[in-house]
Amino acid sequence: MTRNLSKVAAVVGVGHTDYRGDWTRVRAGEKPRDSVGYGADAFKAALADAGLQASDIDGLIVGPTTPYERLGEVLGLDVRWGGQADAMLGVIQACMAINAGLAEVVALVYGNNQRSGGANYGGDNAVGGASFLSYIYHAPWGFTSQGALYAMMFRRYMEETGLTSAELGEVAVAQRLHSSLNPNAIQQKRITVQDYVDSAFVCEPLHIFDYCLINDGGVALIVCEGERAKKIRKDPVTIHGVGRYDLNKGATSLEPRLTNYYLPAQQAVAEQVFGAAGIGPKDVSSMQVYDSFSCHIPLALEGYGYCKVGEAGRFMREHGISVERGLPVNTSGGHLSESYMQGWAHQVEAVRQVRGECGERQVKDCNYVHYSSDVAGKAVSIIYGR
Amino acid sequence: MANSKIVMGIDDIPMWASIDRHRLELQTCDDCGAIRYPPAPVCPKCLSEKATWTAVSGEGTIISWVVFHRKYFDDHPPPYNSTAVELDEGPIIVTQLQGDEPEGSWIGKRVRLGYAEHAGRTQHFARLIATPAGQA
Repeated sequence: MTRNLSKVAAVVGVGHTDYRGDWTRVRAGEKPRDSVGYGADAFKAALADAGLQASDIDGLIVGPTTPYERLGEVLGLDVRWGGQADAMLGVIQACMAINAGLAEVVALVYGNNQRSGGANYGGDNAVGGASFLSYIYHAPWGFTSQGALYAMMFRRYMEETGLTSAELGEVAVAQRLHSSLNPNAIQQKRITVQDYVDSAFVCEPLHIFDYCLINDGGVALIVCEGERAKKIRKDPVTIHGVGRYDLNKGATSLEPRLTNYYLPAQQAVAEQVFGAAGIGPKDVSSMQVYDSFSCHIPLALEGYGYCKVGEAGRFMREHGISVERGLPVNTSGGHLSESYMQGWAHQVEAVRQVRGECGERQVKDCNYVHYSSDVAGKAVSIIYGR
Repeated sequence: MANSKIVMGIDDIPMWASIDRHRLELQTCDDCGAIRYPPAPVCPKCLSEKATWTAVSGEGTIISWVVFHRKYFDDHPPPYNSTAVELDEGPIIVTQLQGDEPEGSWIGKRVRLGYAEHAGRTQHFARLIATPAGQA
């Protein structure tokens, strides 16, 4: 018997902080909230969206930048099951806990004061070095920042496939189009491919527009057992499949990054997640991709079979990746242009697209949304649908 | 801002001691022959602890490169490159190409490691191996 977590659980509530308002305040030198405060604001919004009370929550998963016990204390939550996880693993763990009968209504809460708290993603004391040795190991040669790791990876990909800088620019351009249609997004101004090509390099070949924002904020989701979810609201968003595959061998010496661009991990997850959901890439209405850097998008398009391996550049240019043409990818603006919530806000966008609440950026007939991330070779997918 | 620092895990100490002597020694597994990089307590291929520190030839091929335009460390003013080199023995290392730079793509270019003082320590760098005129 093949076991999977299809339709075990559904999302009944989503919430987040005021990304644009906090961005403006932080840039003016204010510290609106700490991580726990942002998480608390998002949790209240998610509860209200679900029409639930805090006393309905019996499971709590807290993001990696937020202290578990303190957040539970602040929110007044004693729970029969809990833990700490990133966005993608958080959703999967909630499904696992519900499937195992350990919890029925799980709150997932994330808060991050990375901008006002002065987090460094490169240089001395770079974030993530304790978990990912590759983030810090090559520093003596000046090789630092996650952006540089992806620049090194994508340089080779570009040389190998012929994908051009202008083709990569399609990602930033499409996501700015989307963020300009999203009132919550930090970046409201559209850009052109020429703006992209003319923009400054941070770590060549990646331009400033290839990099995610760094901002404060919080996100919360309420994931509920499938049958109970239908009683909570008329339009719960069902989790149709999840999958994960990790490439760890040779990670610090960059072998999986530079020799296969994490393709085998994404292909293994494609088999799991599409198998569980009983659908294929052609059935997907919109894709949400963890975009710390723009180059995640072409690699995901290939890894999950939306286009042939080595043809993502042409796919993005000819077919399109926006709500205006082709496969709509990162319809909120994503990390590049909406808000850098480390994958959490992508789950919110997926849910809202399926519910049909996205206004000008709404994808028509949105049946299934595929979320994908491949951070440091840890490929994860979640398929949301009605 | 600060200078870049070596990540000195306990298994890295012998490697950096060899770099001080202007050679790059890595662990070769006594049981299966696999070469470890970064240095590690056991062989990732066969989990054996037995290994012999062996100097690599110091020659390899560039497999990718980046150019930093933003400053992250005091000892690396931009623009500067970081270059991934696949050593002839197999491991991929990150170093810095110094001296002449290739026209166009750097990928596939042959390099040899050298050693120099940098920010109060000795570390490796790479230089293009000169090829006879007419041979790329």
